[in-house]
Amino acid sequence: MKPELLAPAGDLERLKFALLYGADAVYLGGQLFGLRANAINFTLEQLKEGVEFAHSLNKKVYVTVNIVLHNKEIKFLIDYLKQLDEIKVDAIIVSDLTVLDLAKKHTNLEVHISTQQSTLNYEAVEYLKDLGVTRVVLGREVTKEDIEIIKKVGLEVEIFIHGAMCASYSGRCVLSNYLTNRDANRGGCSQICRWDFDLLDENKNIIKGEKNFTFCSKDLSLLKHINEICDMGVTSLKIEGRMRSIYYIATVVNIYRKAIDDYYNKKYVYNSNYENILSRVANRDSIVQFFDSNYGANCSYYNDRIEVSNQDFLGVVLDYNKDTKIATIEQRNYFKKGDIVEFFGPDKINTYEVNEIYDEDNNLIEIVRHPKQIVYLKTNFELNKNDLMRIKVDK
Amino acid sequence: MKTLIMISNLNQVNLKCDGVIIGIRGLSVNMPAYFELEDLKNIDKEVFVCLNKNMHNSDIDYLKEILIKLNDYNIKGVIFYDLSIPNLTKKLNLNYDLVWSQEHMTTNYNTINFWYDKNIKYTWVSNDITLREMKEIKENTNAKLMVTLFGYLPMFVSRRHLVKNYLDTFNLKDDSKINYMEKEGHIYPLVDNNETIVYTDFILNGLKEKLLLNYDYIVLNSFLIDDDKFSKVLDIFNNVNSDNVDELDSELNSLFNNLGKGFFYNETVYKVK
Repeated sequence: MKPELLAPAGDLERLKFALLYGADAVYLGGQLFGLRANAINFTLEQLKEGVEFAHSLNKKVYVTVNIVLHNKEIKFLIDYLKQLDEIKVDAIIVSDLTVLDLAKKHTNLEVHISTQQSTLNYEAVEYLKDLGVTRVVLGREVTKEDIEIIKKVGLEVEIFIHGAMCASYSGRCVLSNYLTNRDANRGGCSQICRWDFDLLDENKNIIKGEKNFTFCSKDLSLLKHINEICDMGVTSLKIEGRMRSIYYIATVVNIYRKAIDDYYNKKYVYNSNYENILSRVANRDSIVQFFDSNYGANCSYYNDRIEVSNQDFLGVVLDYNKDTKIATIEQRNYFKKGDIVEFFGPDKINTYEVNEIYDEDNNLIEIVRHPKQIVYLKTNFELNKNDLMRIKVDK
Repeated sequence: MKTLIMISNLNQVNLKCDGVIIGIRGLSVNMPAYFELEDLKNIDKEVFVCLNKNMHNSDIDYLKEILIKLNDYNIKGVIFYDLSIPNLTKKLNLNYDLVWSQEHMTTNYNTINFWYDKNIKYTWVSNDITLREMKEIKENTNAKLMVTLFGYLPMFVSRRHLVKNYLDTFNLKDDSKINYMEKEGHIYPLVDNNETIVYTDFILNGLKEKLLLNYDYIVLNSFLIDDDKFSKVLDIFNNVNSDNVDELDSELNSLFNNLGKGFFYNETVYKVK
């Protein structure tokens, strides 16, 4: 069976982009009990709208209820779970097992176990299966062999295929708590693992390399192994990044959608252009990490906290007039007359040389430099609302 | 209230305490030292065996072997993090108690009661919560509770060899058994052994709090504390009462210059906007 492609949705706009660009399901946080407390997150009304939108496309919405609970929160939990049930979310993702227990007692919600539990072995998965869990999101430290063994338990298995990594076992890091008073396991992680430190020996003398010491890890990308993963019968393939932009979400989802579909259409060959596009959309290096059991020094990222964001993302198509062939574009990064760009949507890519640009007052202009500036371009191919414009990525 | 100590060496078994927490090589993390099963013989105190690492498939056979062997030892219980352990002990019908100890998740009484209903009668309560929350837990559960009141606290466990990775990347050499990492004058102990573990820059001092908590067990961690000092610490905790607490607290402060209160009186935040 084709695996589910599962994308992050930091808000309603990103939910729509993720689903339109090829995700089979999205995961998101409500305004309570989620591990991205500082993302925009969804009100119940927005959540309802998101669920209705997803279900209209025959797709799914999973809600994170995965913080580690403190005493005072328990009394609010049952009502919240009942509300999620009424909205008809497709599952909740939990780490604290009291949430599983209350969901079973008070709702019909399906429950997935969060990666925060760092589930890495078949005995633990068997235990969770007996508790009535329907899916387990495996810890990021699993290897290909681990996944194959765990699959035999017969529970739905979800793995991360793309995005940022925790340096620690998920759930076992409270650096953020102690160094910044922000609670890592309750949505406040301040990413201390990306800070630079001085490394000292046992006599407290500095050990100094060319770059500063850090726990920072490269990001994960399993694009290279997508054919093997499809063969393994993993239920769901998860992309990390609820705080990421619509451009990131649309691009990453779209590339994995194509790679998975290529595989099932028996057209799969490793496509370096896909990799190239993925690498340009990120601001950090990505590698395979634990999947191939090779998680040595090459996984660490010594970059002195320099993360370069490119300006590939040029604009969003707000509208396209089929009669006049005029596209209304909202600018996201500088572009100008003569630039070679691409418009891409869920199913198509068109290359385009920027020629005549008109501003909102119908003046012919040569440079689009203002954030969210509205401009008009004439194209000889049809565009759709929510198509995206980027610089042309060389193969 | 009984006192358990996390031992750095087998001599510490003879210290004046009610019991010991012992790590087993290959199956434990965040322990001052790791021992073999044979080392448990002849300990005539309560013994809790701490098998608290994140278990991978490759660990399961050895874990199973140790769990079965432990059934023939006179131990009080097995402390666990990974859910493979309650699964295996149930399937193998082993007769010692289990202690739920998912160290940063043991933060509320509801989940403690969830485990209690699963016949897991002990919880090692997290140090990431306030003293008030610790008291509320006691008031709302029948589980037997333990809490760490002295020692460096583990903050981070990684599968990765983060010190070795750095040394390898930049062709550096260092044979330290323990490292440290420093930021803005704060120095954090760092151990890269089977996993990479980071500890707090302070030693938790819960001497006064011992008198305010009516827990079943308090835990004192000997990690990075020399034997003489740890022995004095144990005496102080054993002898503290409401009349001498200030005097003994001063004595404790004279032994160490980096004692701290952790989150006893300081609640973490998670929403910053």
